[in-house]
Amino acid sequence: MENKTLDGLTEIFRKVFAEPGLVLTERMSSRDVEKWDSLAHLIMIKEVETYFHISFKIRELASIQNVGDLICVVDSKLKDQSNNH
Amino acid sequence: MNSYTIRRATIQDIPFLVETIIEAEKSGSERLSYATIFGLSIQETNDCLQKILQEEIDGCELSLSSFLVAERHGEIAAAVGAWLEGEEGVSSTSMKGSLLACTLPLEVIKRASTISNIIGELHIEVARGVLQIGLVYVSPDHRGNNLTQQLIKAQIERSKSKMDTLTEVHVQVFGNNLPAIRVYEKCGFKKIGEVECSTDAILDYLPGRSKILMKLGV
Repeated sequence: MENKTLDGLTEIFRKVFAEPGLVLTERMSSRDVEKWDSLAHLIMIKEVETYFHISFKIRELASIQNVGDLICVVDSKLKDQSNNH
Repeated sequence: MNSYTIRRATIQDIPFLVETIIEAEKSGSERLSYATIFGLSIQETNDCLQKILQEEIDGCELSLSSFLVAERHGEIAAAVGAWLEGEEGVSSTSMKGSLLACTLPLEVIKRASTISNIIGELHIEVARGVLQIGLVYVSPDHRGNNLTQQLIKAQIERSKSKMDTLTEVHVQVFGNNLPAIRVYEKCGFKKIGEVECSTDAILDYLPGRSKILMKLGV
């Protein structure tokens, strides 16, 4: 797990779900966070895009089951970006 | 009454499904969450929903594959959306949020983020492995023909053919939508839970202050 990605996601999740002490785990999903409804999810996705300067495609998001999957997709997009520069 | 054909929705049915989503979201009121939460006009809401349905992403209330429609003489009369929660591995909550995230512009999402705490008070966790009835709509000219019951029954049969261990069907409905609650009760659903928002401010955005969870054993 990339520490920078996890740190960034932790910051975003704490802000979006208004839980300052939230600790992310790879297996965590919307079923584990009480305030994780569809509106909070879409806000979180946009925050992730803004924070990491990336843009998701719907097919990428449709396969994300938990925080671990989100980290993988973010890392993969950051790697693609750095290879292209 | 029995001359209706029930079938899976196709891309050609998207205009009726957009009408279904808009009317079901309003839940008997004049408040459309896409307008009140995101500030979209009816045309923008229409365009956004058309785009989302065309994505053909399965497993949530905005999935084309979730819908069955009732048709008579080439006219679509009603639609009911339903999905087996978790069948795609991803929760319907996340799926719907992702579809909206990829469709809505950033500025409208920023607007929504200021009120997400209030909206979140009416969130009811969607149970895994349960058939979820999502958006339901019968065109005014076709009401009184038991189309909702027929479509829900067809959705249950469709799901049982995929998962013969299915034992529960759930539906969430705004507490103030008494006509819908009566229809679900007529189908055999019983109330098993309720959440209520702590503030009347919710009524600026959503059709009701409370949400009821109903269950049908199958």
